[in-house]
Amino acid sequence: MKWNVGTKMAAGFGSVLVVFTLVGVVSYRSTTQLIEASDLRKHTYDVLGNITEMLTLLTDVQVGQRGYVITGDDNYLEPYRSALTKLDQTFQDLRRQTADSVRQQGRLDALDALIKTRVAYSREVIDFRRTNSLEAAAQMIKSGKGETNMDEIRKLLGEMQSEEEGLLKIYTEQSASDARNAKWTIVLGTLVGLLLAAIFGVLITRNIAGPLQSLTTVAERITAGDLSVNVTADARSDEIGLFARTFDRMTQSLRTMAGAAEQIAAGDLRATITPQSANDVLGNAFARMIDNLREQTRQLLEGANVLGAAATEIVASTTQLASTATESATAVSETTTTVEEVRQTAQVTSQKAKNVSESAKKTAQISGSGRKSTEDVAMGMNRIREQMEAIAESMVRLSEQSQTIGQIIATVEDLAAQSNLLAVNAAIEAAKAGEHGKGFGVVAQEVKNLAEQSRQATNQVRTILSEIQKATGAAVMATEQGSRAVEGGERQTATAGESIQALSDSVTEAAQAATQIAASSQQQLVGMEQVAVAMENIKQASNQNVASAKQLENAARNVDDLGKRLKQIVERYKV
Amino acid sequence: MAHSPAAEITEIQLEVLEFRLAQESYAVESRYIQEVYPLRDLTPVPCTPAFVLGIVNVRGRIVPVLDIKKFLDLHEKGLTDLHRIILIRGEDCEFGLLADVIVGVRSIPFESLQPSLPTLTGIRSDYLKGVTAERLVVLDLARILADPKIIVNDEVIA
Repeated sequence: MKWNVGTKMAAGFGSVLVVFTLVGVVSYRSTTQLIEASDLRKHTYDVLGNITEMLTLLTDVQVGQRGYVITGDDNYLEPYRSALTKLDQTFQDLRRQTADSVRQQGRLDALDALIKTRVAYSREVIDFRRTNSLEAAAQMIKSGKGETNMDEIRKLLGEMQSEEEGLLKIYTEQSASDARNAKWTIVLGTLVGLLLAAIFGVLITRNIAGPLQSLTTVAERITAGDLSVNVTADARSDEIGLFARTFDRMTQSLRTMAGAAEQIAAGDLRATITPQSANDVLGNAFARMIDNLREQTRQLLEGANVLGAAATEIVASTTQLASTATESATAVSETTTTVEEVRQTAQVTSQKAKNVSESAKKTAQISGSGRKSTEDVAMGMNRIREQMEAIAESMVRLSEQSQTIGQIIATVEDLAAQSNLLAVNAAIEAAKAGEHGKGFGVVAQEVKNLAEQSRQATNQVRTILSEIQKATGAAVMATEQGSRAVEGGERQTATAGESIQALSDSVTEAAQAATQIAASSQQQLVGMEQVAVAMENIKQASNQNVASAKQLENAARNVDDLGKRLKQIVERYKV
Repeated sequence: MAHSPAAEITEIQLEVLEFRLAQESYAVESRYIQEVYPLRDLTPVPCTPAFVLGIVNVRGRIVPVLDIKKFLDLHEKGLTDLHRIILIRGEDCEFGLLADVIVGVRSIPFESLQPSLPTLTGIRSDYLKGVTAERLVVLDLARILADPKIIVNDEVIA
C-alpha cells in the first residue's frame, strides 16, 4: 500500500458517500415522477369537472327555457342567461385542456356544433313563447327536436368522460409502480452504504491503531528509562512509517546521549555531542555541560596544582616561621635586658635634664642684663649723633664766613690793581712833565710799590684762606663721615639690641624647653618602666608564638597532603 | 731806519711804558700814551680787519681796541687775560692797545736798542724801534700811526 492515512480515510468515506449519493438521486427522480403523475391526474380531474360543468350548464339552459315556457315569467329565464354566459368560457377551457389529445379535440368539434344547435333551439322556443301561448309552445317542444339534440350531447360528453377516466387509471398504475421502485432502491442503497462504511472503518482502524499501539509501548519503556528497545521500522511510506522512523531516530539519539553520559560517569570527558538541531535543548545542554565540566575539571586541576604548590610553599614558610619565631623569642629576651639598661640610662638623663634647666634659668637672667646694657649704648650713640650735628652746623657757618673773607680779599685785590694803574698813569704824567715831574714820578713809584705790597699781602691772605677752606672742607667731610659712622653705630647698636633681645627670648625658650625636657625625661622614665613590663609580656607571647608556629607547620603539612590527594583525584578525569 | 731825530737825542733816555701780552714784553713811548685803563665792556664790531678786536667806551669816548700781535702777524701763544688797554693819542686818531699786564714806566738808553729782530722781517720790522737785551720789544708808534691800515680803519670806524 502506497497510500498515506489521509488518502485511505478519504477513499473509505468517499465510497460510502457515492453509494448514498446514488440513493439520493434515485429518490429524487422517483419523487419527481410521482409529482408529475399527480399533476397529470389533477389535470384529468379538471377535465372531468369541466365535462360535468358543461352538462350542468346545458341542463340549466334547458331548465330555464322550460320554466319560462311554463310560466312566461322572465324571472325563470335567470338560469338560462347565467348558463349562456359561462358556457363559452367552459368550452374554451375544455379545448385548451385537451389540446394534447386529437380524439378529444375531434369530439369537441362535434360538441361545439351540437351546443350551438341546442342554444339556438332554446332561444327559438323562448322567443316563440314570448309571442304565443303556453300550449303553442308546449306543442313546439313536443316535436322532440330538443330532446334528440340533448341526448347526442349527453352521449358525446359520456364518451369524453370515459376516455378521461381510462387515462386516470393508467396514471394511477404508473405512479404506484414508480413508488414501489423508489422504496426498494432506497432500502437497498442504504444497506449497501452501511456495509461499506463498516468494512472501511475496520480496515483503517486496523491499519493505523496497530502500529500506534506498538509505538506507545516503546514510548512507555523509554519513559521508564529503558533505551534497549528497538522500533521495527517497516518500509511504510505513510505518516505511521515516518513516525516510527522518527521515533527510532529519537531512541538512537537518546542512546547516544546515554552513551556519552556513561562515558562522563566513567571519568572520560572527551565525549563530543553534536546537537540534532539548533532547538535541541537536551543536546545543547549536554554539549554545554560537557564543555563546562571539561573547563571546570581543567580549572580544578590547575587549582589543585596551584593549591599543591601553595601548600608546599606554606609548609616551607611555616617552617621558616617556626625558626624565625624561635629566633625572635631569643631576640625579645635580649631586648628585655637592653630595655632594663635603657631605663637606667633614662634615670641619669632625667637628673642631667634638671641641671640643664637650672643653668638655662641663670642664662636667661644674664641675657636680661645684657639687653639693658645695649639700651644704654643706644642712648649714648644718640647723644653723640646730636653733638655731631651741632659740629656740622658750625662747620657750615665757618665755610660761609671763609667765602665772605674771599670776597673781601677780592675787593682789596681790585683796589690794589686800581692803585697800581693809578700809579702807572701818574708815572706817565710825571714822564710827560719831564724834569718837573721827576719828584712826582718817585711818589708814583712809591704808590706803585705799595699797591704791589698790598697785592702780595692779599695773595698771602688768599693762600692762607684757601688752606683754611681746604681744612674746613676736610673738617666737613670728616664731620659727615663721623655722622655716618654714628648712624652706622646706632644701626649696629639697634641690631645688637635686637640680637640680644632674640638671644634673650631664645634663652628663655631654651629654659622653658629645658624644664619641659626635665618633665619629659621623668615621663620617659615612667614609660621605660612600662616598656620593661611590656617587653616581659612580649617575651611570653613570643614563646607562645613559637608553639603556635610549630602547630601551624603541622597543619600546613596536612594541607599539603590534602592538595596532593586532590590533584590525584582530579587527574583521574581524562580531559 | 731814518735816524735824524734819533741822532739829536743820542744821549737822551727813552721814556717807555712796558707791558706784557701773551708772555711777551712790549714797550711804547710814553709821550704817545694818554692813559692806561682797565678793559671793560668790549663790544666786537663786524666788517673790520682781524686785528681790530672791538670798541670800548672810555669816559664817553668810543675807542677802537687793537691787538698788536695780530697787527704784526705774530703767532698766537696761548690765552691772554685781556684786561688792560693802553690809550694812544695820535694827531688825528685815538685807539687802545690790548695788554695783559702793565709793568710800569721806565727809561731805557736809546743805544741799548738793537735794531733788528730775527723773527720779524720785511714790513713787520718797520713798526719796531728795536729790541732791548731783555727781549723788550719797543714799538715805533709814529710809524704805526702813519700806517695806511690805521687810516683805512679810521674811515671804517668813522
